[in-house]
Amino acid sequence: MAYKLKLILVLMIGIFGPVASIAQNAGSKQYKCMIQMTNYAGEEAYIVVSLINPKGAYEKTIYMFAKNNKWYKDLGEWHQFSKKKLANISAITGASVAGGDRSIKVFEIENSKINKGYKLRFEVAVEDKEYHVKDLEFPLTTANVSGKIDGTGYIRYVRMSPN
Amino acid sequence: MTISIWRYSHLALAVSSFLFILLASLTGIILAFDPVAQKTLSYRVQDFNNITLAESLPTIRKEYPEITDFSVDNNQFVILNGTNSEGENISVYVDPRTGRSLGAPKAQSSFFEWVTAFHRSLFLKETGRFLIGFTSFLLLLIALSGTVLVIQRQRGVKRFFAKIVRENFAQYYHVVLGRLSLIPIIIIALTGTYLSLARFEVFKIQQINHKIDFNKINSEDKVPSAEFAVFKNTLLADVQSIEFPFSDDPEDYYTLKLKNRELLVNQLNGDILSEVRYSRSAMFTELSLDLHTGRTNSIWALILAIATINILFFIYSGFAIMLKRRANRVKNRYKSDECRFIILVGSENGNTFLFAKSVFQQLLNAGEKCFIGEMNNFDSYARAEHLIIMTATYGLGDAPTNAAKFIKRLEEIKQSNKVKFSVIGFGSHAYPDFCKFAFEVNNKILAQNWAEPLLDIHTINDKSPEEFMQWVSLWSQKTEVSLNISAKEFKIRPRQLQTFTVIERSELAQPEGAFLIKLKPLKRVRYTSGDLLAIYPANDHRERLYSIGKIGSSIQLSVKMHSLGLGSQFLYGLKPGETIKAGIDRNAHFHLPEDSPMVIMISNGTGIAPFLGMIDQNKKLKPCFLYCGFRNDQSFNIYRNILDNSLETRRLNGLHLAYSREGEKKYVKDILARDEVFVSGSLKDGGVIMICGSLAMQRDVLQLLAGLCQRYNNRDVDYYQSNGQILMDCY
Repeated sequence: MAYKLKLILVLMIGIFGPVASIAQNAGSKQYKCMIQMTNYAGEEAYIVVSLINPKGAYEKTIYMFAKNNKWYKDLGEWHQFSKKKLANISAITGASVAGGDRSIKVFEIENSKINKGYKLRFEVAVEDKEYHVKDLEFPLTTANVSGKIDGTGYIRYVRMSPN
Repeated sequence: MTISIWRYSHLALAVSSFLFILLASLTGIILAFDPVAQKTLSYRVQDFNNITLAESLPTIRKEYPEITDFSVDNNQFVILNGTNSEGENISVYVDPRTGRSLGAPKAQSSFFEWVTAFHRSLFLKETGRFLIGFTSFLLLLIALSGTVLVIQRQRGVKRFFAKIVRENFAQYYHVVLGRLSLIPIIIIALTGTYLSLARFEVFKIQQINHKIDFNKINSEDKVPSAEFAVFKNTLLADVQSIEFPFSDDPEDYYTLKLKNRELLVNQLNGDILSEVRYSRSAMFTELSLDLHTGRTNSIWALILAIATINILFFIYSGFAIMLKRRANRVKNRYKSDECRFIILVGSENGNTFLFAKSVFQQLLNAGEKCFIGEMNNFDSYARAEHLIIMTATYGLGDAPTNAAKFIKRLEEIKQSNKVKFSVIGFGSHAYPDFCKFAFEVNNKILAQNWAEPLLDIHTINDKSPEEFMQWVSLWSQKTEVSLNISAKEFKIRPRQLQTFTVIERSELAQPEGAFLIKLKPLKRVRYTSGDLLAIYPANDHRERLYSIGKIGSSIQLSVKMHSLGLGSQFLYGLKPGETIKAGIDRNAHFHLPEDSPMVIMISNGTGIAPFLGMIDQNKKLKPCFLYCGFRNDQSFNIYRNILDNSLETRRLNGLHLAYSREGEKKYVKDILARDEVFVSGSLKDGGVIMICGSLAMQRDVLQLLAGLCQRYNNRDVDYYQSNGQILMDCY
């Protein structure tokens, strides 16, 4: 009996699961994000934007600024996480960013993560230079997603605005 | 001495860096084709250089409202970044006039990306970057020391592009291609070095910091962007990239990154909020990139590729030259103090050593104690009886590097015993001052009281094995030490033989007389009077050389019959119509000089052969006089008709005969002495004297000329010899 119940449960998840995820998708919003780099000298920076849960752990990769996946390992902390949880990030990957340049991208964040203790982390690696796990990290609050936040290393500031 | 420092640096630099240069060159050649391949794409619109920002920017923005920036790449393709109506990030090539999409950019080919990374850092990150940068600097030094070496070789900056004397393949093309690709290579090396220095922040890197007074931003007067003065005045061709305002907020602005400066522009009315010019070093970095990569011009990229291919050749030919020099080093078996024979060599690039070594080896084989050394190491030799000096001449009649100290040492160091000496000068008539240093050395040794000349100075043109063999046999006769040297040792490549048909052959008038034989090459061959025909009568190593007279399109030889002569018997046995195999040796130093105002030809016996051809070829009717000696009237008979004809056609202006066994019994030197004023005068006026025949005759004539030159012209005969006015081909 218990076995049959389990089977029905599995089937139900199978049927309703996708519906649930569509519903979640509808519950997300696009944001325009501008990263302005400082005038550091050196190679182009690899930047990964991650969603950090209230426990301080990686939850999801939001966007990757990179030229070649060969150097993903330079983004050490994120690389540890991504190895455990393989996700196809090619759809959310754009060019790496040079010192002094800026880059504007649009990405999606679920509404349920706003004002719930989640954070957005900007992690930067530059060849033969110091690696910054938290070049910039800020709480996902309504104020921050349409504001300007200063970085601490290679990033001068990040500006966000709902699209 | 400076010569050797430059040469030594050139070699040391090349040896220490060739591996990295090899890697950088191979990858560099591949990378040169990246810009070439990119230029074949057609994202560039016509008349691009006349498009202003005012024409294009509003149109593009209308097509792509969510544009974030666009850039103009090195191929003048316009590529924009932004989002489409679905909020997806996009990147696309556009037509800057219409905003129409031309296609999506492809990621740089991972192959070129891989090669670029290797070219820059050898995959060794900072260490590799440093190595490559340093290699680039060394390449610059190699190119510069190479330039100095070419200038020295050519004897002056003005003669930089003058003809180069060919010694061998590696040497010749090392210099020829070196001159041609010098400028691109210096540019590659200089820009490569600069880019590395910039990469390691040796110069202060410009920090572009805009200061905007946000309180003064005018947000009232709105102007359409097509009317902005700055957009109207800026050409798309001068743009690197343009960043669009992040939002409609008046405090957000356009950032225009142009070729020479960066501008911030108010998005509402086109006011310039800030302007920063790029520093000179930043501009030079961009220029260096353009020049180093050829990214802006595919023709330049191809030139870079060719110059880089040349670098590969220089690595090969440079090593070939070095190894050749090394191969010429010799080890002595005996100490100089115990040796009876001393050979001293003055050689700039080791060619002369090849000859010296063969003599050295043969003397050792003959059981003689022999020492070989460089002229700079001239010393006192306790048991020396024979001194052989073999020297080349470098530059403007100067000593080769390893003989530069010789004359000074010669004047300081005395020998305790009498020493017999012989000087051999190696040189080329392609240069003025033929063997000048050898003549100088000969005179200086002659002045030493311990020195006793064994032979007159002997000169060798263009490493001629034949001329060297002449010295070998003369020296052997005098010393009674037989040297078993074959001319073959010095032949670099096996000769190519051609087929010749016998056309006619005259009959012998007397048993030990001479006959004429005419041969015609089956195929087209280049030759002229004065060249040598080499025949192999027994089809073995035995070679016989005959001086060629070119008559019409055939070769005429004049051959003296010897009862046991291998060559003469063979040739006399030929019948018209038969064919033989023979080779032609170019003998450039005995060609009739074209620019001389007149020529006096001196011969005895069959030495007349080349002159018969030269007279026949004298269609310009250059004043031409022939002094020739024979035994008697009968020996002259076979030439009589030919020369009478030449006198009639004025190809020959004077014929003077000396018979040694008939009538007044005169030698050719006697009839020259009779015309001494004419002979010495002709030398003074730049005329040329050519001598062909026996060595004994040559010696007599030279002796006579030496006297005449002193008496009438107040010059040494050496002067005319090194000036190429006295040409000799005797046997």
